[in-house]
Amino acid sequence: MGYLGMDVESMTANDWLGVFFAVFVFTAMIYVYFMALRPANKYKFESRRSMALDDEEHIHVGEK
Amino acid sequence: MGVVTVEAVQSIPVKYDMEVVKWFSVMAVIYLVVGTLLGVYIASELAWPFLNFDIPYITFGRLRPLHTNSVIFAFGGSTLMATGYYIVQRTGAAKLWSNSLAWFTFWGWNLIIVLAVITLPLGMTQGKEYAELEWPIDILIAVVWLAFGLNYIMTVAIRKSSHIYVSNWFFMSMIIMITYLHVVNSLAIPVSLTKSYSIFSGVQDAMIQWWWGHNAVGFYLTAGFLGIMYYFVPKQANRPIYSYRLSVLHFWTLTFGYVWLGAHHLQYTALPDWAGSLGAAISLAMIIPSWGGAMNGMMTLSGAWDKLRTDYILRFLVVSLAFYAMSTFEGPVMSIKTVNALSHYTDWTIGHVHSGALGWVAMVSVGAIYHMVKKLWHTEMYSDSLVNLHFWMATIGAVIYVVAMWVSGIMQGLMWRDYDEYGALSYTFVESVSAMHPYYAMRVVGGVIFNLGTWVMLFNVVMTVRQANVARSTNAVPAKA
Repeated sequence: MGYLGMDVESMTANDWLGVFFAVFVFTAMIYVYFMALRPANKYKFESRRSMALDDEEHIHVGEK
Repeated sequence: MGVVTVEAVQSIPVKYDMEVVKWFSVMAVIYLVVGTLLGVYIASELAWPFLNFDIPYITFGRLRPLHTNSVIFAFGGSTLMATGYYIVQRTGAAKLWSNSLAWFTFWGWNLIIVLAVITLPLGMTQGKEYAELEWPIDILIAVVWLAFGLNYIMTVAIRKSSHIYVSNWFFMSMIIMITYLHVVNSLAIPVSLTKSYSIFSGVQDAMIQWWWGHNAVGFYLTAGFLGIMYYFVPKQANRPIYSYRLSVLHFWTLTFGYVWLGAHHLQYTALPDWAGSLGAAISLAMIIPSWGGAMNGMMTLSGAWDKLRTDYILRFLVVSLAFYAMSTFEGPVMSIKTVNALSHYTDWTIGHVHSGALGWVAMVSVGAIYHMVKKLWHTEMYSDSLVNLHFWMATIGAVIYVVAMWVSGIMQGLMWRDYDEYGALSYTFVESVSAMHPYYAMRVVGGVIFNLGTWVMLFNVVMTVRQANVARSTNAVPAKA
C-alpha cells in the first residue's frame, strides 16, 4: 500500500479522530499564517508592538 | 465585560500585588543555586563514582531526579510564577484576581518541593522521567497548578486593557497544556501512600511518558519562558518588539505543533514506525516558528546593539535567545532517524538538554529576575560588575558543559556502532564508559563554573534587597507626635 497509504476499511474510531485533528490543525495553521501575514492586518497587529513598554506609564508598583 | 484601551487607563493609579512576586523571585534564585549544586554533585559521581560513599540516599539514581525536579519545578516553577504574576498585572493594568490564592500557590509550590526533597532520596518514585513524584504529591501539584491557572486567567479576565499581550497567551497556553499533560501522564493506581503503578502499560506507557516529557519541554520550558522573553526583552532594551505579527505566528504555530513531537524520543522502539516519522517531521517544521521567535527577540535590539556593551542584564536575555535558536535547531536534527541512530542514548542528548536548560531557560530567567529585582525594590543592583561576572560565568560554564557532552556523546555513539572485519563490536561497553571519563570531568568543571555564578547572583540579589531596605528605612519620615 505504500508508506503513505491509508487502509480506510480497517480504521477505528481512534484513527478517524486522529485524522480529524491532523486535518483541523493543518487547516488552522494555514489560517494563522494567512491572518498574521495578510498586509491588511499589519497595522492591527503592529500597533501592539510597544505594549510592554507602555505599562510604565500607568503602573505604580508597590510603594513607589 | 467592558474593556478600555491601554491609553485610557494610563493615568489610573493601581497598586499591584507584588509581595508574592518578590518571594517567588528570591526563592527562584535560591533554588537555582541548590538545583545546579545537585547537578554538579551527580556529575561528579559519574566522573568519580566513589562519591556515592555507598550511601543509598545520595546515589546518582536518587539524586538525579532530585536535581531535575529542583531545577525544572523548583527554580523553573518559581520563576514562571514570579514572572507570570508580574506580567499579567502590568500588561493588564489590574491587580491579581486573588492575592490570597497567589500566596496559596507560593506555599503550596514550596511544600511540593519539600516533599520532593524528602521522598526522592528515599527512593519513592513512579519511575516516570520528569514525573517521578508519587501520587499524593501529583494531586497536590494539580491543585496548586490549577490555583495558579485560575488566578492567572481570571486576572486576564478582569484586565483594564483592551488587548491581551502576547506574553499572556504563552503563559495561558502553558497553564492549560501542563494541566492536561500532568493529569493524564500521572494517572496511576495507588497500592499504598508511597507507591503506585501507571494505568498505562507497554508501548502506550512509553508514548504517554514522552508525550508528557517532550511537552514539559515544549510548554513548560519553552512556551512559559517565551512569555518571559516577549515581555522582558523589550522592557530591558527599552525598544518595542521587532514584529508583533511574528510573535502571533510564533505563538499559534508553537501551540498547534509542539504536541506532536513526543514520538521522536522513541525512534527504533516498539512504537509504530510512522509515529516516529511524524514526530521527526513536525520537529523539523517547528524550526520555522522557533527561529522566527528567536529572530524576533534579537531584532528587537536592531539599532540599539550598543546597549549590550553596558547593559549586562540585557546580555543574559540576548544570549538566551542565541541558545534557544541553537537548541531548537539541534533538537529537530537529532530527531531525524539517521542522526538519532547515532545520538540516541548517548551524552549528546544530555548536551542538547543542557544547552536548552542552562543556555535558554536559566539565562532568560536570570535576566528577567535581575530586571524584576530592580523594579520590585525600586533600586539599582548592588553591583553591576557582579552581574557582568555572573554573565560570563554562566556563559562559559554552559559552553564548557555542552561541548563536553557533544564530544562525549558523539564518541559514545561511534564506539557503540563500530564493527571489526568479522562483524563483532570493536569496543565493549566498559571501554566506552572509560573513554568518557575526561569529558565527565570536563562537565564537572563547566557545572562548577555555572554554579559559582549562581552564588554570585544570590549574593548580589540579597545585598540589593538589603540596600533597598536600608534606603527605605533611612528615607522614612517619622510620624509627628
